[in-house]
Amino acid sequence: MIRTNKTQVGGGRTILASPTFFGRLFGDNGLQKYLFYLPAIFMVVFFLIPTLLTIVWSFFERTLFWMEPGFTFFSYINFFTSARFDNFLSSMFHSGISVIICFILGFPIAVFVRRHVPQVAQHRVILLFILPFMVSEIIRTFMLRPVLGRNGLVNTFLQKLGIISEPITSILFTPLGVIIGEVMSFLPFIVFAGFLAMEAVPKYIFEVCQDLGASRWRVFVDIIVPLAAPGIFAGGVFIFVNGLGVALIPNILGGPGAVNAGLIATQAISALDFPLAMAVSAIMMITLLGLLFVGHRLFNLTRILEPIA
Amino acid sequence: MKNTTDIAVESIGLSKNYGTVTALKSVDLKIASGQYYVLLGPSGGGKTTLLRLIGGFLRPTNGQIYLHGHDVSNVPPNLRPTSMVFQSYALFPHMTVAGNVGYGLKLKKLPSAEIAEKVVAMLSLVGLSGFEDRLPHELSGGQQQRVQLARALVLESDVILLDEPLAALDAKLRKDMCFELKQIQEQVGITFVHVTHNQEEAMTIADRIAIIADGELIEEGTPQDIYREPVKRFTAGFIGENNIVDGKVTAVKGTQAKVDVGSTTIAANSRSKNLSVGDQVAVSIRSELCRILGENEKNVRNVQKIPATYVEEFFLGLTVSHLVRLKTGADMIVRESSDRAGTSEFSEGDDIYLAWELGDARLHTS
Repeated sequence: MIRTNKTQVGGGRTILASPTFFGRLFGDNGLQKYLFYLPAIFMVVFFLIPTLLTIVWSFFERTLFWMEPGFTFFSYINFFTSARFDNFLSSMFHSGISVIICFILGFPIAVFVRRHVPQVAQHRVILLFILPFMVSEIIRTFMLRPVLGRNGLVNTFLQKLGIISEPITSILFTPLGVIIGEVMSFLPFIVFAGFLAMEAVPKYIFEVCQDLGASRWRVFVDIIVPLAAPGIFAGGVFIFVNGLGVALIPNILGGPGAVNAGLIATQAISALDFPLAMAVSAIMMITLLGLLFVGHRLFNLTRILEPIA
Repeated sequence: MKNTTDIAVESIGLSKNYGTVTALKSVDLKIASGQYYVLLGPSGGGKTTLLRLIGGFLRPTNGQIYLHGHDVSNVPPNLRPTSMVFQSYALFPHMTVAGNVGYGLKLKKLPSAEIAEKVVAMLSLVGLSGFEDRLPHELSGGQQQRVQLARALVLESDVILLDEPLAALDAKLRKDMCFELKQIQEQVGITFVHVTHNQEEAMTIADRIAIIADGELIEEGTPQDIYREPVKRFTAGFIGENNIVDGKVTAVKGTQAKVDVGSTTIAANSRSKNLSVGDQVAVSIRSELCRILGENEKNVRNVQKIPATYVEEFFLGLTVSHLVRLKTGADMIVRESSDRAGTSEFSEGDDIYLAWELGDARLHTS
């Protein structure tokens, strides 16, 4: 073993002394230096430029099949003065409810895994929450129809038990259906975010609390939530933004009154009103930036990325 | 130190197993009220387990714990009259110093004015007046431990438990904090039980020390007793710097025993132990009470001596250590004050005698 290592060290030196072709190509002064710019170039070409174009295009004039350069607030006026704005506001409200339900259901899972699952098994348990992603989101969402529908599992079950006599029709194709779909789709994210956020809660804290006589509830409210706040907020924003933007869920589970920003934009594109679709996207973006600004002011979000002192 | 017969902590037959691993084997311990009591021992010896059993963080496998005469063996930590100071800087990172110290009182639903008053008083006791609004990460390690102490003291518990509270501090700070802890303890007059593996720390701070190793209470006494008159061979090996020679009793005469240590036979006081010929014993002598006799001094009277070979000398600042090797191959240390030491008169390989006064040797049967 030791001999092999020595040879390797010697080999490394040889490369330095007389650079080979690959040494020159990928060495410190070769392509390697530019390799790091690759993701940056990717992000500029495929993210930054389209994002800026979205804002620019949202002020363009609509034509029959595309749009033409100009500067008009028509799309924004169209958005804010129609039912779309009401739909946008109610989808924000419903996303907010999804976030809260995800937190209530998902965060305790993260706390439990951190506290009561042995260290070696923690990551494996968390990985289980990736399993749902192995099924296409369309299928997963669509599978809720036979569950929540008029003659679905829930209604049949409740009727068989005699709890209800008529099937409940207010689950599917309503905001409630969309919220259930969002919670199902996004719950893993709060588990992941919460699990990472719990890193900010040192283990010794629980013994201190035990010694001082803090109840589980007090430990949760006074210690865990404030310490994990940045991570919880980050997970919450992620769910909120997806609730607002993923058109799929309201498309499959929502009805006329359960439309989100993503679906509004999709519908605008279907109607060939591209400037309106761009305006909706721009408004979503600004909403998100506003949220992040507030969150950063409240919780200093950079703390998520800091190692625990 | 208060001289009282009131017992603050008492354990009877206390033991703790983790599955098949025994962390603590039947410990009987009594800690008088108002004492600074140190549990000293090597890592993994069971001293932290004992402290955690006293604090209620662990349930005993067998035996009972009494705090001021009440059996608390199955009482949870918050209902015991004990408060813990943890090894790591176990403060709530998002709370200010005042918030940390007052949190226990807040849980007890004291009015906030009263909490503020007590917090201020307690912070002044631990020397942190004016630090109320600092956050833990703005404090040094020593200051963080003082906040922990204040958080424990403010609850007015009868017993403060300290789990290696100074282990994370550097040597100089540890020494200062030792004195400070002792002063605070004397001022408040309540019982402190302090776990450490650092014997200097234990010597500095303790009214009494219990040596704990291999899950057993080896020996207990004042620092002076443990240093000067250790009963057990383990204690002699663990505390201070002792030369220990093993041997077999060849004769017992009055209070004196003759011990065959291989190359020669030495005499030692039997220390009122019942010895009989053939017993395996050990004799320990503190290194600073040993001296080296040259070949020409072998007729010096009234000393015990073992023939040995001089190896080398080490300069340690305050003291100089001379390493000598017995004929059995065992290395022994002779330590003298470096002011007294001239250049060594011996050189490597010289035949010399390791010598000491009869009364300085301690005989151990276990």
